[in-house]
This record gives sequence, C-alpha cells and structure tokens, in this order.
Amino acid sequence: MNILVVIVFAITLIYFSMTERFRIYAGLIGFQGVLLFVLSFLELNAITLATLLFVALETLVFKVIVVPFLLFRVIEKTGEARVHEKALPGFYSLLFVTLGLLLSIVVSFSLNTTPGNMIYFIVAFFAVYTGLFMIISHKKIFSHLVGFLVIENAVLLLSLAIGSEMPMLINIGILLDIFVSVLILGIFVMRLKQRATDLTMLRDD
Amino acid sequence: MAETGYILVGFFVVSLLAGTVTGLVHHKALARGITVFYVAVHIAFSGYAWLHLGETVLDYFTFDPLGVLLLSILSILTITTVYHGFIYVKDARPRVFAIYHGALIALVASMSGAYLANGMTTVWIFVEATTLAVAALIYHDRTQMALEATWKYVFVCSVGIALAYLGILFLGFTVHDARLLHLSFGSITEIARMANPLYLKIAFIFVLVGYSTKMGLFPMHTVTVDAHTVSPPPISAFISTTLMNVGFLAIFRIYALFSATTILPFMNHVLILSGILSLLVSAGYMLKAKHNKRMLAYSSLENMGIVAIALGVGGIGYYAAILHIVLHSFTKAGLFYQMGQSYKVMGTYKLDESGNYMALYPAGATALLLGFLCITAIPPSGMFISELYLMKAMVWSHNYLLLGATSLLLCFVLYALLTRVLHIVYSQPREKPLHDHIRVNPWQSATQYVLFGLVIFICFAQPAPLRHLIESIINALPK
Repeated sequence: MNILVVIVFAITLIYFSMTERFRIYAGLIGFQGVLLFVLSFLELNAITLATLLFVALETLVFKVIVVPFLLFRVIEKTGEARVHEKALPGFYSLLFVTLGLLLSIVVSFSLNTTPGNMIYFIVAFFAVYTGLFMIISHKKIFSHLVGFLVIENAVLLLSLAIGSEMPMLINIGILLDIFVSVLILGIFVMRLKQRATDLTMLRDD
Repeated sequence: MAETGYILVGFFVVSLLAGTVTGLVHHKALARGITVFYVAVHIAFSGYAWLHLGETVLDYFTFDPLGVLLLSILSILTITTVYHGFIYVKDARPRVFAIYHGALIALVASMSGAYLANGMTTVWIFVEATTLAVAALIYHDRTQMALEATWKYVFVCSVGIALAYLGILFLGFTVHDARLLHLSFGSITEIARMANPLYLKIAFIFVLVGYSTKMGLFPMHTVTVDAHTVSPPPISAFISTTLMNVGFLAIFRIYALFSATTILPFMNHVLILSGILSLLVSAGYMLKAKHNKRMLAYSSLENMGIVAIALGVGGIGYYAAILHIVLHSFTKAGLFYQMGQSYKVMGTYKLDESGNYMALYPAGATALLLGFLCITAIPPSGMFISELYLMKAMVWSHNYLLLGATSLLLCFVLYALLTRVLHIVYSQPREKPLHDHIRVNPWQSATQYVLFGLVIFICFAQPAPLRHLIESIINALPK
C-alpha cells in the first residue's frame, strides 16, 4: 500500500511537467498533501499516538487545506492562469523530467539501501529534480513557488521514510511547512501585486 | 539544570522578550533603550561563553571555540551596527523604527543560537530563524524594489534550507539510532567513519549547496547580492559578515564531522571548485558593477571563495580560512557603514553619479581608502597575512595551477576595486546625482577607523587568545 501511494506521488510529478495551468498546479499540490497524509498513517506505525496525530494533522491542515487555499487565492488575486508564453513546451518538459526520473533511479540504486527505502529515495530525488526544474525553466514567480512546494514535499516524503526511527526529524521538517505558510501569507499574498508576476528590477547594469 | 543552562536559557528568554516588546510597542525611546540594554546583555553573554569555553549546555548547545569566536565577533559588530542603525532610522516613523530594532534583536539572537548549536538540526532551526528576521530588515524601506529583494532572499534561502534539510536527512539515514535524536556533532563523528561514503557525499553536497545561500558562495550567491542593493547599510554589514559566518559555520561543522572519513578528498575538491567559481564570478561582475553596494556584495562573494579554497587546500589553509573569516567580518562591516555615509554625502549608490568624496567628506573618504587597503589584502592589512597563509598552503600542497588561477582572479578583483574606489574618492561624478548632499559628522566614521585598526593590528601581532582559539578550532582537522 505504501509503495502504491509513493508511486501515485511520482505520477503527480510527471503531471506537473505536462500541465501549464496554475489551477491544476494548486490542485496537484493539494493532492500531494493528501498522499503525504495517508502515507504518514501507513509509515509511522512505530511512533507514539500523539506524534502521529500531530504529523497527520499538520499534513492535513497545512498541505491539504491552507497551502492549496492560498495558492487558489493568489491565482484569483493576480489573474494569472497559465505559465508564461516562452516556457518550455510540454513535450520537452516531459523529456527533461523523464531524464530526471532515470537519473533518480540510477542514484538511488547506487545507494545500496533496503528495497523499502529505495522507492522513497527514487521519488524524493525525482521530486527535488522536478521542483528545481520548475524553478529554473519557468519565469513566473507562481511557478517558482509551486516548484519550492514540490521540493518541500520531497523533504517530508524522505523524512517519513526515516520517521519511525527518528520522529524528531519529521517534527523539524514540519517547521519548514509552517515557514512556507508564513512565506506565502506574509509576502506573496499580501504584498506582491499583479504587476510583479516576474521580478526584474534588480540587475547589475 | 546547571548554571550554564540557566544563563543560556536566560539569554534566549531576554532576547525573546526584548525583540517582542521592541517590535510591538511602537515607541522610539523605549526601542532605543531596550536595544542598548540588549547589546550589553549580548556582550556579557559572550564574556560568559569565553569563561566556559568547551562546555556543552543542555545537550543542544555548546560553547566550543568556533562558536565562541563567531559570537564574540557578533558582539563587537552588534555595537557598531546598532550605532549606525540609530543614525539610519532616526527619522523613521515609530512603527518602522520599532520593527527595525525588534527584527534586529531577533536576528542577533538567532545568529547567536546558530553559532552555539551543538547539532545539525539545531543549527538548521536557527538558520531558518535568521531568514525570517533578516527578511523584515531587508524590507525596511517598503519600496517595490525592497519587496522584490525580500521575496528573492526568502525564496532562495527557503530552497537552500530545504536542500540543507535533505542533507541532514541523509545524515539521519547513516546514523539510524534513535538515541542520537538531535544529531549532535560529537555523537555522530564515530558513526560517520563507518557510514556508507556515498550517503556522506550526498549529505555534504546538499548541506553545502543549501547553506551556500547564507555563506553567499557560488551558485547561491545571487540572493545576497540583491539583498544588499536595497538593505539599510548597517543590515548589509550584518548580511555580509555575521550572517555569512552562520553559513560558514554550518558548512565547516559538517566538513569537520566528515574530515576523518574517506570522503575528505571529495569534500576538498568540491570546496575548491565552489571557491574558484565564486572568485571567477565575483571578478567578472565586479568589473562591470555600476552600483557601489553591489560591488561590495561581490567582494564578499570573492572573500567567501577564498575561505572555501583555503578549507579545501587544508594544512595551514585551515588557519587561513578562520583568520580570513574574522578579518573579513571587521573589514566588510566597516566598508558597508562607510557606504551608508557615502550615500548621504553623495546622494547616490550609482557609480556614475558618485565622485569627489574626498572633497565632500574627508574623514569618510580616508576611511574608505583604508577599508580598500584592508579588503584587498594590501599590507598593512591583516588580510594580507591570511591570504599569504593560503598561498603558502597551496605551495606546500603543490597546487600550483590553483595558485596561479587564484592569483590571477585576485588581480582582476584588485583592479576592479581600485578603479572604482579611486573614482568615488577623487574623480568628478560622470552624471549628476538625484539627491542633494547631506553633511555627515566626521565622528560618525570613528567606528570604521576602529574596525580597520583592528584588521591592521592583526598584520603585526596576532593576540595569543585569538591564536589559541583558532588553533583549537582546527586541532581536530587532519594535519
């Protein structure tokens, strides 16, 4: 069951590379939150009930409700619906992302770990790659934000793999979640207005 | 709980209270009073840390030599930064004044926590806290450009923090022991020796790239450069010195942790590569820099590149790296304070609009020239000694190609800085500045003279406590 959930998570990453609509991005981030919520129940069976509830609540509140809600608010406020015109076409994005998946598989296999951890490593590496790829290949800050959220989900995914032995690592990872919410709330939603959909004021010349 | 525990907890409680009250009660005199009180508390705390050198406090903190050295630098620079901050924001509205000082106290407290942290996760938490605190300070001017710089800073730092956390998770996979929950430095040294080297390499790469956002190393250097453009000069001084030291500390900790393993040559190669690329990028951008503060920001990138190379070369390079960190902190802080005054006097940060500084403000122009001598490591600058040690380390380790490349790039940096500083000090402005000149009291440059004086003093004599402290920091590293 765990492996199935992780594989579905990987499929959402491939979908990220193909789609160009911001509403789908926000939906996928929420869906990844649901998957992490389910995974936290399945994976963290060896920790105390209180910690488990805290982790589950955090994924449910922040990842499934708060963050997607804020993303939809940003889309409404800015009126931006799609990635910019010169973004890499979907086909090439898919090609690059597939390359990233292959790379993640190669790196994970060379880590010589248990089969249980292997799938987590592959998908976590792949998620980091996809997130960084979105940040680099897209011009609009909304895409950058979604790319960062994907990386952040990769962090939680990897921490769930080790979480039963070291729950403190998950708790600290949760700090990152709260930090992200502060980031989106404090700067993006409240301050950055429609005209600031790409940032080019600070230059060397 | 032992006495040291009470003192440490007391310090953080005072920091929390001071920061909160200052930030929330919008009263200038109160904010000023609390900030001065906090500076005194910080100095006392640093003194206490010196007296308890080597002690571990509450498992999560330690008064180890590197932490105490950087904490002491922070104490000194907090005095000067607060002084210049008072001048910079004196006309601000009470609310802005209060937020500035509240965030400043939060930044100082979180940097202190990062210096004294005794584990990778504790360092990480405090690094995250520094990002939030400094974001409020970068956004101080509340302009669209300040917003852009703040967004970029917070965003790239967040990506860096997430990557660094992945590195910590990989460290967690190698440890696999619930008893070592907070991954304290001492407890995982032995385990790291037996761990799979590939895990350690991945952990090191993630941590290096992640914390490069703080240290300002290539490839994550752009974030600090943009932040400098809009930050108040006293805050630029902090970002370029004590905050970069936080990044250095985090990278140095993991380097020291893994230095007894088989991945030492790998780490050295990566650090040298990152350092030389930092030098290359800084030299290139300094030659085309048209903004005085951005020029200094690229100079910080150059100096962090030197530190990374020195670490990578090893041997006497370790000593050079730590000494360079200390001296760079004093020099760069002084230069940024000076830039703040030059903005008032010349009415601009743009190079083409700058000029005639010696005639307009001789005390500041002389300080700028002195700072230029210090930062370019021209004797009698103490940085001459640290760079000389670096060159020695390269010769002793037969890294002649690296020596040639580093020397050549430093020549470009020297040329870029020399032409620009001389233009600011002696030439007539090429374009008319937008703002009028403001008279600045010559005594306001006194702090810069003190800081540059310290750097010059080190060229002639390294005080025994400083020497012993640096030696004890590098003691555990391979000879």
